[in-house]
Amino acid sequence: MAATKEKPTVYALSTCPYCKRTRRFLDDHKIDYECVEVDLLDDKAQDEVMDKIEKLSGKRVFPVVVVGKDIIVGHDEAKLKKAFHL
Amino acid sequence: MIGQKVERVHCPVCLARFKYDPKWKEGDVVICPICGQKLKLEHKPDGWTGARVDRGSDREIRDRADEFARIRGYVFNDMKEEILEGLIGKNKRFKDFYCPCRMMHVPEYQCPCKPTRAGDVDVNGKCYCGFFWRMDTASNPVPPSPRTGR
Repeated sequence: MAATKEKPTVYALSTCPYCKRTRRFLDDHKIDYECVEVDLLDDKAQDEVMDKIEKLSGKRVFPVVVVGKDIIVGHDEAKLKKAFHL
Repeated sequence: MIGQKVERVHCPVCLARFKYDPKWKEGDVVICPICGQKLKLEHKPDGWTGARVDRGSDREIRDRADEFARIRGYVFNDMKEEILEGLIGKNKRFKDFYCPCRMMHVPEYQCPCKPTRAGDVDVNGKCYCGFFWRMDTASNPVPPSPRTGR
C-alpha cells in the first residue's frame, strides 16, 4: 500500500509579514497546506512546536515550511517553487 | 561641572533615561532620542518621566518608527506597511508594539527592539525584521514619512 503523502506544513507567527507572504504565495498557487500559528498556541504546545522547529531548521525563526523532506526557512520563493515543482 | 546633578527623563518604552533640557517644561512634547517615542513631559516626585502620546494607536507606532529612522539616518523599504501591520497586530493581541517577527513579548523586543537600539542596523545593514535599513543596504529605500506637526 502506498504511504499517505503528508500535507505541507507552514510554521508561522500570526503577525509576521514574511509568513504572510509565504502563505499568500501558497494560496496563489492553490497549494493545500496546514498552517500552525505558533504564537497563538498555549504555552505547552508552543514549547513542543518550538523544539520541533529548532530540530528541523536549526533555528528559531519564521516562517518554516516543511514539504516532505525539504525544509524551507524564511520566505524564499525560489525554494518554494523548487519544492513544489512550480 | 563636576558634582552637578544632570536631570534625566525616563522613557516608558525603551526604559532609558535621557538628558533633560532645562528649556523643557511640564506638558511639552519631546522625542525620546533612544527609541523615537513621542512623550509628554511630566514631573513626578522621583523625577521627570514621559507619558506616551497617542498610546496604543496606529499613529503612535508610525510616529515612533519614523522618528527613530530620522534620528539614526535609517530608511525603510517596500515591506514598511506590511511590518507596521504586523506591529499593529502584536498590539491588538499582546497589548504592545513588540517585534512582529519574534515569538517573545518582552520589553526588550518593543519596537525598535533592544538590538536595533544598540546598533544592529549599522553592523548588519538591517534590523532583525528588515524594518529599519542602513541607506546603503536598502533596495528601493523609503525615507521616513514627514512629521505631521501634531
